[in-house]
Amino acid sequence: MATKADLEAFVTSVTCPDDFDQFWGAMLAGLAELPLDATATPDPLRSNAEVNVYQATYRSLDGLEIFGWYSVPAVGDGPFPAVLVLPGYKSEPALRRDWGRKGVAVLSVAVRGKLPSSAVFNPGYPGLLTHGLESRDNYGYKGVISDCSRGVDFLLSRPEIDPERIYASGSSQGGGLTLITAGLRPEIKGGVSGYPFLCCFPESMRMLRSYPYDELSCYRRAHPEREGQMLETLRYFDAVNFAPRIRCPMVVGIALEDEVCPPETSYAVYDRLGGERELWLFPDSGHGNAHDYPKQETAWLEQRIAAPHTLSPQAVSL
Amino acid sequence: MTPASFWEMTEAQLAETPLDLSASRDAFYSQPEWDVYRLNYRATGGHWLFAWLSVPKAGDGGPYPALLRMPDYASVHDIIYTPLRHRAVVMNAAHRGQRNSDGAYRASYPGLLTDGIGDGEGWALLGAFADALRAVDALLGQTIAEIGPLALWGAGLGGSLALATASRRPRIGAVAADTPLSLGHPAALEPGLGYPLGEIGDYLRAWPGRRADVERTLGLLDPLSDAARVAAPTLLSAGRFDRATCPAPFAEELAATLPNADLRLYDGAAEGGGHIHAQAREAWLSQRLGLG
Repeated sequence: MATKADLEAFVTSVTCPDDFDQFWGAMLAGLAELPLDATATPDPLRSNAEVNVYQATYRSLDGLEIFGWYSVPAVGDGPFPAVLVLPGYKSEPALRRDWGRKGVAVLSVAVRGKLPSSAVFNPGYPGLLTHGLESRDNYGYKGVISDCSRGVDFLLSRPEIDPERIYASGSSQGGGLTLITAGLRPEIKGGVSGYPFLCCFPESMRMLRSYPYDELSCYRRAHPEREGQMLETLRYFDAVNFAPRIRCPMVVGIALEDEVCPPETSYAVYDRLGGERELWLFPDSGHGNAHDYPKQETAWLEQRIAAPHTLSPQAVSL
Repeated sequence: MTPASFWEMTEAQLAETPLDLSASRDAFYSQPEWDVYRLNYRATGGHWLFAWLSVPKAGDGGPYPALLRMPDYASVHDIIYTPLRHRAVVMNAAHRGQRNSDGAYRASYPGLLTDGIGDGEGWALLGAFADALRAVDALLGQTIAEIGPLALWGAGLGGSLALATASRRPRIGAVAADTPLSLGHPAALEPGLGYPLGEIGDYLRAWPGRRADVERTLGLLDPLSDAARVAAPTLLSAGRFDRATCPAPFAEELAATLPNADLRLYDGAAEGGGHIHAQAREAWLSQRLGLG
């Protein structure tokens, strides 16, 4: 199990490219030129007395149509606060109806590569993490991150959503994407990042032999001559470089027995956060399975949504 | 259709369907200590299935202990990841509708659990259970490595697939079933459950008049009806607060019905025992497979 000393002693080799902000600024500017073409089609089978569920679509990078589950409280006229829920690496986007009864809307995004956009873009799982690594412009995660950012645009396009109360959450890859999206989009007012993936790539691929990080080790073994380029590309997509740009309150949840996303790398991101921050540590828990995490996540977001400027009492300090 | 006639039909179809297995080594994902293969083979109903197979490089061709990992309720089935892959053959087999096994049918999530549920024979999930048996055929039919002791492991849907398979294949020497999906149990029909069991509630809310049909269909795959025939030692795990996959009353009833079950009930929800049980399961499987 990782210890407090392990977390604090860890030092990442990742540095931020000089043109990091220009790269992502250009991407956001390009997306802004693209029509959103947002749709929300009612799904009566998944709707109930508390929540109206819609199958949402919108356009993202390269014109790809992205799908999401959009759930809106059935009671009340809004405007509703909203949570952008970002997905794990290989898991399905969660259809979250639990927030509906609390008066909160949710957009749960199926980023590219998942059903149904996999009909067009399908690097696979494994596969996504190494897709297009040869260039920051062609790397698969550029599209994935675009899809998350456009999720914010989808919410902003909806008249029933309060644009001042948009939050984000996710676990594993969803945790990494929560950090990255919050770093790109100041419209996000707070977030909870659980067991975050996409952190400190060079160290993560060395510390573990589990997927998805092991995909990078496979790539390096297959293409040793490209290692430098691979690491250069990954600098642009590392959550540790987004962390100082995050100004909203952010929680990082870490399982100290995490066998998929090294706890030390998650802590490194937490340590660099630019705004108000909280750390949740879960001893005796592995990746994605801390029993108390979902309850704490819900409680933190509820509290923020109800009173966005108060401090949470749940902070755990080292 | 009854459970008995479903399984009789399935076994007959499996027997008359050639396996037509092909295997290709995946140089990219192979490691210094084990080789990774992509398997493709024929299933019933004209479907083609995909599986990952890893074979330790040490051991001179076997026989190797083997672990067959049944698929979760999700579109992607993992590439091999378990510390056991160093010393055991490990196979992760997808069922029809999952990624790489979706040429003729693509499952949706949520959706698979109730796809055709009102119509018995047309219930899409039946195919997943036929494919679980087929995975054993493929593992034993491949010629890359000789297979010794064989164990099954699965979680959620995979837990139910593992139990159903073990009840019909005496070759299986051990089963680890985490939070098996409580198909056919009254607990699965309670209102307000999370997904995947919540899909049944969605369906019944939309078509309340079909409740009897749904109950009859779910009964085709009720793990309790097969449990007494699972001769292999079985490690079961569940969470006391699970309201999405394996409610505790079902887990306790299942453990009481299995001839040789060790139920670990944790203070968890759908994650069951989480990390603590993952360690216990790994040790239990290692022991059953003769890996120490």
